[in-house]
Amino acid sequence: MSEPRSGGRLGRRALLGGLFGALGAAALLPQPLRAAPLARVRAEGRLRVGVYAENRPWSWSEGGVLRGIDVDLGKALAAALQVRAEVVEFYAGDDLAADLRNVVWRGGLLGFQPCDVMLHVPFDRQLMLDSDQVAIVAPYYREGFAILCGPDGGDCEAPPVQFRGKRLAAETATMSDAYLLGSFGGVLGAGVRHHTTGYGAMAALAGGQADVAMGTRAQAEAALHDFPAAGLRRRRGPIPALASPGWDVAMAVKDNSRTLGDALEAALAELATRGDLARLFAAHGVEWHAALAG
Amino acid sequence: MKGTIRRSLVSLASVALVTAAPVRAEGPTSQDIAASATNTSAVLTNGMGPWGQRYSTLTQVNTATVKGLVPAFASSLGGEKQRGQESQPIVYDGTIYVTGSYSRLFAFDARTGEKKWEYNARLTDGIMPCCDVVNRGAAIHGDKIIFATLDAHLIALNRNTGKVIWNKTLADYQAGYSATAAPMIVKDMVIYGNSGGEFGIVGSVQARDVNTGELIWERPTIEGHVGTLRGQPNGMTGKLNASWQGDMWKTGGGATWLGGTYDPDSNLIFMGTGNPGPWNSHLRPGDNLYTSSTLAIDADTGVIKWHFQTTPHDGWDFDGVNEFIPFDATIGGKPMKLGAKADRNGYFFVLDRTNGKFVSASKFVMQTTWANGFNPKTGRPNYNDDNRPGAPVGAEKGKVVFSSPSFLGGKNWMPMAYSQQTGLFYIPSNDWGMDIWNEPIAYKKGAAYLGAGFTIRPIAEDHIGALRAMDPTAGKIVWEYKNKAPLWGGVLTTAGGLVFTGTPEGYLKAFDAKTGQELWKFQTGSGVVGSPVTWQQDGEQYVAVMSGWGGAVPLWGGEVAKTFKDISQGGSLWVFKLPKG
Repeated sequence: MSEPRSGGRLGRRALLGGLFGALGAAALLPQPLRAAPLARVRAEGRLRVGVYAENRPWSWSEGGVLRGIDVDLGKALAAALQVRAEVVEFYAGDDLAADLRNVVWRGGLLGFQPCDVMLHVPFDRQLMLDSDQVAIVAPYYREGFAILCGPDGGDCEAPPVQFRGKRLAAETATMSDAYLLGSFGGVLGAGVRHHTTGYGAMAALAGGQADVAMGTRAQAEAALHDFPAAGLRRRRGPIPALASPGWDVAMAVKDNSRTLGDALEAALAELATRGDLARLFAAHGVEWHAALAG
Repeated sequence: MKGTIRRSLVSLASVALVTAAPVRAEGPTSQDIAASATNTSAVLTNGMGPWGQRYSTLTQVNTATVKGLVPAFASSLGGEKQRGQESQPIVYDGTIYVTGSYSRLFAFDARTGEKKWEYNARLTDGIMPCCDVVNRGAAIHGDKIIFATLDAHLIALNRNTGKVIWNKTLADYQAGYSATAAPMIVKDMVIYGNSGGEFGIVGSVQARDVNTGELIWERPTIEGHVGTLRGQPNGMTGKLNASWQGDMWKTGGGATWLGGTYDPDSNLIFMGTGNPGPWNSHLRPGDNLYTSSTLAIDADTGVIKWHFQTTPHDGWDFDGVNEFIPFDATIGGKPMKLGAKADRNGYFFVLDRTNGKFVSASKFVMQTTWANGFNPKTGRPNYNDDNRPGAPVGAEKGKVVFSSPSFLGGKNWMPMAYSQQTGLFYIPSNDWGMDIWNEPIAYKKGAAYLGAGFTIRPIAEDHIGALRAMDPTAGKIVWEYKNKAPLWGGVLTTAGGLVFTGTPEGYLKAFDAKTGQELWKFQTGSGVVGSPVTWQQDGEQYVAVMSGWGGAVPLWGGEVAKTFKDISQGGSLWVFKLPKG
C-alpha cells in the first residue's frame, strides 16, 4: 500500500538540510520558509502528540483519560520544549504507511489534524525507505518478546513445543501469534486463543483463561506489575527459532520538520541521561531498555 | 400521455388508501421493490431490481439513436469533499437520490437537476477509512431513503425532507468496522452486510425493520458463530471447527462488504463473503468456511440454505463478495434457474440458484495462475500448488509468487449486468497480476505483526481494464473492449441493444451489446467509478451516472498508477437524454 513517490529521499533531505542550514539569515527569507516547524511549535505553545488507541501499556484510554508510557513521554517531551502537550489517540490502520499518512504528513480524510510527532514508530530501515514523507527519529526503547505462564501453566522454561495441549494466548496476527501457530510444524496451533491486544492476552493468564501467553516484553512486564497476586511467571530462557530479534521504537515527524526532530532527539537524550525516561517506564512496571540504534 | 395516466391512477389509489387502509408511509412498498425490474419509470433498487441484473427494457435510446445522446443537466455534489463517487442513483417520483463520498446523501429534482436537499452524516474525525471514503448508494422504501455511513451506522431519512427518521449503529467503528455498500429492502426489512479492516473482524448479515431500524435477524458468515432471530439464538453457522483450527474462526474474516441480491421466488438472499484472515494461509489449515463464498440465506429467518465457496483456503486475498445475479437459461436442453458471479479470482461461476450446485466456472481474465480451471464433479479449483505464496522461514520472507489476477481482482466491487435480450453478461474486468509474498514481520500498530507484501503489475501492453461479454451457457467471451486504465465502475444494459459503462479517463461509453462496437461516449470531467442507470420520465428515456474519480485504485502506486495518476477528482451527477423532436 505504498504511496506514489516523489523524488529520491536523500536528494530531498540534502536539499532541505541546505535550506535550513542557511536559516541564520532567516530575516532575509520569505515568510513560509521562515516558519520552521520547531519555531511554529514554540509559537503555538503546543506539541501535538499522536499515540495509538488501545495499546496498553503504551497508550490507552481509561474513563476518558489517556494513560500509558507514550502518553507520559509525550508530556515529558512537550515540557522539555517548554510547551503544552496535546496528546491525542488514533486508531491503527491496516499498516504503518496508513498511520504515518493519517497522523503525521497528511491528516485523516475525515478531519483528523496531523500531529507534530507520532510515537511508537518502529525504527526500521525498510519502513524509512518506504516512508519518504516522514523522518523517523529519536529511538527510545528496545522492544522484544516475552512469554508468561500462569500459576497452572507448568514448566515455563520447557522447550515451547512442550506447551502442546495448553491454552495459549496471543494477540491476533502478531509475531507472537504466528510463532505459536506456525512453529514446530504447527503442533501448538490448535491451542491458541486469540485476543484483540497483547496486554489482553497477558491479562487472560491472570483471569485463569489461559496457561501460557506470548507478547511483547513491555506487555508482559506491565501484566506482571498490574497483577502482582496472580502468580504469573516470566520465562527467563530464550524463545527458540523466533523470526525477530526485536526492534527499536522511535517517533516520526514530517520530513520537513527536521528542526523539531533534532529538538526531540536532544530532549530525549536529556530525559535518558537524567534517568527520567527509566522512571517514566518504571511507573508502568516496564524496565527501560535503550534502543540499540540509540 | 402514459405518464399522465399513471399519475392519475396513483392519486386515485392514495385517496382510496386514506379511507381503506391504516396510515402508511407513501412511496414504494416492498412489493413494488420486488417487482421493480420491469418498472421503467423508476429505479427502485441498487442493481435495478432485486436480481441486480441492471437490465432495462427501454428502447428509445438504442444502437441507432444513442449517438444523439446529450446531457440534460449535471449536478455538483459541491464542497471540498470530492474523491470517489461509486454510487448508483435511485430515481422515484421526480427525484434522483444519490449518495456521495464522505457519507452524504443528495436529492435532486429529476427534471431540472436542482438540489432539493442534502444530508451530511456527522462523522468523528477519528475515523481512518482503509479504502477511501466511498459510498455505493441508497435504498428507498415508503417515505424513507436509507444509506450506511463510514462509521458503520445505518440511517433512514425522510425522502422528502432529508430529516433523520432513525439512525442505528451497525458495528463499532473503533473495532475497525465501516460501511459503504448500498442497503437492500426485502419484505419490509433492510438487509445489510458489514465491512472493516483486514484483521480480526467477522462477517455478518443483518436484517432490520425498515420502519424502526430494529434488528430482526443476524447471520454471521464464519462457522462456529451463532445467529439470532428476534433476540433468540437461531442456530450455528456451519459446524464448529469443521474447517478452522483452534479458535481462529473467532477472527476469521468473511466480511459481507458489498451487499447482496434477492430472489423473490425462492425467498433467498445471496451474499458474497470476504477473504479469510490472517493472510498467510499456512497458518489457517482448512477450507475456512464460509470465507470467499456465496451464501444463500432465507430472508425470513436468516438461516443459510446453501453455500458455494469460490476460493477454498484462499491464499491470494481473493475475497468472494461479488454479486450473484440470478438469471434463467437453458443448458443442455434443460431450462434452469441459475445465478452467476464473476469472482475476484478470475473465474465466472454459474450455479443452480435453487441449491447452489456447480454448473460451470469459466475464466474471464487473460490469465489465472493460481488454478487451472475447476473440477466439474466437485466444483473445486484445480490448484496450481506452486503458485501459493510460501510460508516465511525464520526471518526470511516466504516464496514470492507471481499471481494473476492481483488481489484487486479480475473484477472488484463494480457490478456486472445481464441482458435478457442477448443472454450475455457484461463484466467490467481488469487484467493485472501481482508479486505476492508472506512477510515474517510487518509493522502495524507500532509493533511486529504478520503481513503480506504485494506489487501490482499490468500484464498487457495496451490495457488493464476490459469490458467483456460472457456467454454464460457456453462459458465463452463473445467480445471485449479494452481500456488503458483499470475499470472501476458498474455496467448497465438495455433492450435498446446497448451496454453502458464508465472509465477512469472520464467517459461514459455506450457499446453495441451484440458486437462490442463503441457507439457513443461523453467526457464527464472526472473519472467514472459509479454505476449508470436508465428510466423513463415524461415520455423520454434518461440515462444517469455519477462522475468522480477515487475508490481503492488510486491508493495503489507502482506501475499501474501510470494509467491514472493524472486524473482529477470530482463529484457530479450527470443526466443524459435524446434531444426533443
